[in-house]
Amino acid sequence: MSKKVLSVLKYVFLAVISFVSVFPLIWMVIAATNRSVDITKGTMIPGSYLMENLNTLLSSDLHYMMAFKNSLIIAVITTALAMLVSSAAGYAFVVYKSKNRERVFNLILLSMMVPFAALMVPLFRLFTKFNNMGPLKLIALNTPMAVIIIAVATAFLIFFFRQNAQTFPKELLEAARIDGLGEFQIFVRIFMPTMKSCYAAAIVVTFMSSWNNYLWPLIALQSPEKRTLPLVISAMGTSYTPDYGMMMIAVFIATIPTAIIFFIMQKQFVAGMTGSVKG
Amino acid sequence: MKNKKSNSGMSPRLNRRAWMFVIPSLILIIAFVFYPMIQAFITSFQSGAGNRLEWAGIANYKRLLTDSTFKKAMGNTILYLIVQVPVMILLALVISSLLNDKKLRCKGFFRTAIFLPCVTSLVAYSIIFKSLFATDGFINTILMKVNLISEPIAWITDPVWAKILIIIAITWRWTGYNMVFYLSGLQGIDDSIYEAAEIDGAGAIQKFFGITIPMLKPIILFTTISSTIGTLQLFDEPMNITQGGPANATITISQYIYNILFKYSPDFGYAASVSYVIVVLIVLLSIIQLKVGDKNE
Amino acid sequence: MKLKKATAVLLTVAVTVGLAACGSSSDGNKDSAKKDDNKLTIWAWDEAFNILAANEAKKIYAEKNPDVDVEVVTMAQDDIVAKLNTSLSSGAYDGLPDIVLIEDYRIQGYLNAYQEDFADLSEIASPEDFAEYKTGVNQIDGKMYGIPFDSGVAAMFYRTDMIEEAGYTQDDMENLTWDKYIEIGKAVKEKTGKDMLTLDPSELGQIRMMLQSAGAWYTDEDGKVNLADNQALKDAVTTYKKLVDAGITKTVSDWDQFVGAFNNGDVASVPAGSWLSPSIMKAEDQSGKWAVTAFPRMAENADSVNASSIGGAGWYVLKKVGHEDEAKEFLKETFASNTDLMNTLAEEINLISTLKSAAECDYYSKGMDFYGGQEVFKDFAEWTAEVPAVNYGENTYIIEDLMTEVMQQITSGADIDKVLSDYQKQAEAAISK
Repeated sequence: MSKKVLSVLKYVFLAVISFVSVFPLIWMVIAATNRSVDITKGTMIPGSYLMENLNTLLSSDLHYMMAFKNSLIIAVITTALAMLVSSAAGYAFVVYKSKNRERVFNLILLSMMVPFAALMVPLFRLFTKFNNMGPLKLIALNTPMAVIIIAVATAFLIFFFRQNAQTFPKELLEAARIDGLGEFQIFVRIFMPTMKSCYAAAIVVTFMSSWNNYLWPLIALQSPEKRTLPLVISAMGTSYTPDYGMMMIAVFIATIPTAIIFFIMQKQFVAGMTGSVKG
Repeated sequence: MKNKKSNSGMSPRLNRRAWMFVIPSLILIIAFVFYPMIQAFITSFQSGAGNRLEWAGIANYKRLLTDSTFKKAMGNTILYLIVQVPVMILLALVISSLLNDKKLRCKGFFRTAIFLPCVTSLVAYSIIFKSLFATDGFINTILMKVNLISEPIAWITDPVWAKILIIIAITWRWTGYNMVFYLSGLQGIDDSIYEAAEIDGAGAIQKFFGITIPMLKPIILFTTISSTIGTLQLFDEPMNITQGGPANATITISQYIYNILFKYSPDFGYAASVSYVIVVLIVLLSIIQLKVGDKNE
Repeated sequence: MKLKKATAVLLTVAVTVGLAACGSSSDGNKDSAKKDDNKLTIWAWDEAFNILAANEAKKIYAEKNPDVDVEVVTMAQDDIVAKLNTSLSSGAYDGLPDIVLIEDYRIQGYLNAYQEDFADLSEIASPEDFAEYKTGVNQIDGKMYGIPFDSGVAAMFYRTDMIEEAGYTQDDMENLTWDKYIEIGKAVKEKTGKDMLTLDPSELGQIRMMLQSAGAWYTDEDGKVNLADNQALKDAVTTYKKLVDAGITKTVSDWDQFVGAFNNGDVASVPAGSWLSPSIMKAEDQSGKWAVTAFPRMAENADSVNASSIGGAGWYVLKKVGHEDEAKEFLKETFASNTDLMNTLAEEINLISTLKSAAECDYYSKGMDFYGGQEVFKDFAEWTAEVPAVNYGENTYIIEDLMTEVMQQITSGADIDKVLSDYQKQAEAAISK
């Protein structure tokens, strides 16, 4: 087989996969421009009801824009804190390898394994105590912090950073120490920039999981004006006569931020970029 | 002093610094995961509706043995795991190594497109999956047009096809997600390695198995374990696409836990004991994967 | 040594958190913390239906009580269930509503698990004021805990044009039995090529409606599983199988396909609750082509009548949230008595009230063009009065999940008696505590 045929095949393969991937999203956009009754009939033609659906959404009692803002605040803070806290731990488990830390890591790994539904009730009971506990009030129920705090250190992220830190060249570390940098400075000034693509991936998935987080915010956030997007979207869904047009514009808008974050971050996935740092 | 050996080569000062990196995470995980985990474990020995819990010894665990729905959920979950995770991992690896090609055009478009399924709202994608795979839906129409099948497939209402549909749906949603980790991992591989291999006359397939896979091993291990856990805790797809049906043919353990907690009259004790069965299962599988994965280190 | 220090810090933190968690647990249980902020919160789940109703009630109540601030919150029904369970089981009442709408199938589970959290409403309403079947589920020990809201009275919506094309008249649809229905269905299929109805193998509302038409359920009066020796269930299952075997059903797998099927004109009839009416009326192009008749009865079962129910809910007061008296007062002046409110709601959201006095509402005698001028409200109200009362108990959903397996085996040819007695054992095992 000639190289040309192979290259064409490659493009065809990627194009097919891309199409299959994007198709439901396109359908969602088309649905957002149609009336509910046409959507249930399965139309695939763009309609003219986009503005009407948008108006219904924005004027409903569900406070969609407020929920959007709440979600954004929570996701941004969670992501920022998680990048610092979880990556520091993952880094330390590799760079400062010791038997005890290895044991602690295995223990942390264990925390990934319990289904969240099982932890929810005990976790809720724990948080109900925080209201009367001085500084812990900061993370009490019904505050954004109650949602943020449990997602800052996750076994998933720590594990991810630990695995990636294994490719971090030790020579860089030695060189920095000789230059007189402190341990924390090495982490911030050397490790972080070197592992840019790894942080990019972590930012994307952390933002996404915070943005879509459902069960815990449902339980932890009590007043309607604190609700996040997934809760508001869920509230639209159980109507006997759901307005699919409004729902589709709602879920479409909810998709945009993560897509944008990915689009920005994917620029970090440029082949061989870290190679120059290493050399 | 017993720690001396394990900290060899590290000054006490450095060792203390090292703990500073770990402690914030550790405190948070102890408070917000381990503490509830222990509570849940205690609850698993209690029984009763709502908050009328009473000590029940190992009654909940005994009940599991005779619970036919639990057995179904367990079987389904393990089936998803065995079939779906390897397929997805391999597909994600192939896609990401194709996308890592410097000369490839429209990279940004392809990457974003393939990533999009995991940000597509569950609400939207479950509606469209159901309509695409309906008996008179688009997929059946196409398959019949090209004469692959002579009768429409009952994707959602046949017990076997419904399982296949769930596997298709999870693969669709999470392949792009895993691709992200590989793409970022691939940046750590120096181009010169590939160039050297090319000079030696290695083809695409040799490069893939000879360089990409070995170099990505830590990340592959990570995605395998996290996908395993994700699949064992699978909830969204069966809940939204098939509602666990037809006749519990696609129900998973997580969905069953949710049902015990919220759909039926709440039984926190039983739900906790079901969860601990998954915990034991995941721990065993992860130990196996870590042992296999770290063998050559 | 340093390690030990770190470990010590860690342990201290863990212990503090743990102790603090145990130490203050008594604070969570403040009994009936009465609050005087004059604020009432109501939770319900349907923007186009019960939320709208709550908002109308709020308007009416505000005229006489301008100082009470009522907040109506929309939440998914599953979310309400999850939040109530988590909070009530933890004894935490912050953030819970004063008044909450709960589905009839679920309420017994709540009342049994958290009876002391619900307010006794006997003083503001009495069971005689409501359709008899609605008050079977909201009482415990003779006390009434809920104000019934919507009637889930079952009805057979059908396309007059298709029935006529098949050679039948609207008279044939009166006093309907399932056998007659199947006969008509076959004719419809033959003449128009359309199916008679949709069935969703994961959603057994059809079976539930048939059961209630005979005054029966999956459980007996004492709440014990009753699958093996349940004649009504056997008849319902047999009827279901006949429908499938007749080849007049279209399989759907969820709500939007169900709605899509009749909006698209793919089926000639829809057996469903009266609350489906707004969804049917969404297809404006089908106006005048629909009619409604009473739910079919099972001819072979002497108890079965031409009336049943599906879904439906009631309002409940959570007394420890802090506004018990205000909440009772609110319900008393609105959903428990106010016929004007019911009239408005009939007009706005097609609510079929279960308040007996609502049958005299003006709007109920209004002919509706969509249904060819039929006075559907009057009919709904009439059937509502005839629905046999059934206590759903607290295990409806757990048994029903097993029943989906039963139905699958039976429709593929298994012996009915054998399957039912097998599953009798499984269901008993599944709910033994």
